[in-house]
Amino acid sequence: MNFRERHRIPDLGIGVGFRPKHAKDVLEGGGSKDVGWYEIVSENYMVGGGRLMDNLQRLRDAYTVIPHGVCMSIGAVEKLDEDYLARLKTLVRAIDPPYFTDHVCFCKASGLDLHDLLPLPYTREAIEHVAPRIRHVQQTIEKPFALENVSSYLAYKSSEMTEWEFIAELAEKADCGILLDVNNVYVSAFNHGFDAEKFIDGIPAERVVQIHLAGHTDKGSYLLDTHSDHVKAEVWALYQRAIRRTGAVSTLIEWDEQIPTFDVLAKEAALARKHRDEAL
Amino acid sequence: MKLSDLQKTFAEALVLPSSIADDAKWRSRGETAFTGNDRVTPIGQLDIYREQFWIRHVNCLREDFPVLLALVGDEKFEAIVRDYLDAFPPKKFQLRHLGENLADFLAKRDDELLADLARVEWAFIDAFDAPDAPPLDPATIGAIAEDDWPNARLVLHPSLQLLRLAFPTNRMRDAWWSDKEKRPIERVEREPTNVVVYRHKTMLLYTEVMEALPFEMLTLLASGKSLGVAGDELAASHPDRAGEIESSIGEWFTRWSALGWISRVVV
Repeated sequence: MNFRERHRIPDLGIGVGFRPKHAKDVLEGGGSKDVGWYEIVSENYMVGGGRLMDNLQRLRDAYTVIPHGVCMSIGAVEKLDEDYLARLKTLVRAIDPPYFTDHVCFCKASGLDLHDLLPLPYTREAIEHVAPRIRHVQQTIEKPFALENVSSYLAYKSSEMTEWEFIAELAEKADCGILLDVNNVYVSAFNHGFDAEKFIDGIPAERVVQIHLAGHTDKGSYLLDTHSDHVKAEVWALYQRAIRRTGAVSTLIEWDEQIPTFDVLAKEAALARKHRDEAL
Repeated sequence: MKLSDLQKTFAEALVLPSSIADDAKWRSRGETAFTGNDRVTPIGQLDIYREQFWIRHVNCLREDFPVLLALVGDEKFEAIVRDYLDAFPPKKFQLRHLGENLADFLAKRDDELLADLARVEWAFIDAFDAPDAPPLDPATIGAIAEDDWPNARLVLHPSLQLLRLAFPTNRMRDAWWSDKEKRPIERVEREPTNVVVYRHKTMLLYTEVMEALPFEMLTLLASGKSLGVAGDELAASHPDRAGEIESSIGEWFTRWSALGWISRVVV
């Protein structure tokens, strides 16, 4: 059995990132028929209580909620933060999601928390360092764990393989899932001049538990992953290629800057469903 | 380059306040570590991350201190928080904690008004996501024997933030948030003020301006002192008002319970 079958990873259909701005639409306005599930940023809910936690409980009562972390720093050379993992475990237990996710990156270095998804060099050294950490996290949290490819703006001279080869080998060695961010593939492909289709085709499809879609910003000499706009046409095309390979997997629309009204977000979700249905 | 050296390079570069793209030393380091491409130089690639570091953190503080921003203006605000981030680089994984030292940082720069404004804005952040606690159960109060009250300790709601301000900056905050047109804020004059910021059971946040005596009593109780000890200490600090204190404690207790400030009484 492959990763998805072993862990009974469900296809949740199309979801969106749950943001406080949309709480009223989702929790009191009934959400949208086009949005079947929600993702939260894990760290925003590692707090004592108040409105955020109250909203999360109500969201959890009505929908499947997937916690998506941005601060685990799985690739850092510094020790994993066990306090962070304990708090994540508390959150995951409260939500009881089918799996949880974070990024293939590092965020901490030299005692600082840089609050960015900083890329790793694609080396054997990095794989040997990160794979046991992924296993440790998966065992600690006691849920399947999937890692997302990040957008990157630099490439290392020390890299020994492509990003997709790195992710495939890392996921195999750590026995974890993959959150395939198609927009990030597009952004990085432009920034580093590789073929985005080769990336999509090189990822082990049976390990992909979820796909992310978002908008990005053209900064002239590079693309910046801003999550501030509609999904671009080229990214929809890549998404269709990806979903044909993976089969029906949960898909998420991310929109984190210049956040639109919930209606606009729901329309983007409906568009994702259309692209997905056409591809499958 | 080893993983540990690469990550150290990021930590060193990202906190630098200005572009490193034209710095000869960094250019050389960049050429050793990064590929660059026909559009961006190797060190230019790292500089994208450095630039984003500052944008992200300055914007986070803009969101957390909107009234301070409105008071001093964008340019001065950015200069202040860049100095602040230089003194207190981020060390916690949640951005929510980024501004926790800003009030003290401003106080050390002898800017009392700005420090008090930052203190009020930060109190709202702490009150917003503090742990929940059930309201005081009246049945437990009735069960406490009269002789036990002096030894009783009050467990206050975790959202309660007690602020002793030199300037009533809570008024500036209230004025800004209630003004839909967001007109320029007027500075307040020095006037020692005691303010409590708290979260109501409806999850809404409120402020309560308090007289000195009940505020001091509440502060003593918040530090874990029993009702008897707190009352005695307060009376010792204000010997001319001992009678007033003794006769007011019951009334204060009733008021604080009604506001949801007391969640438990421990005997």
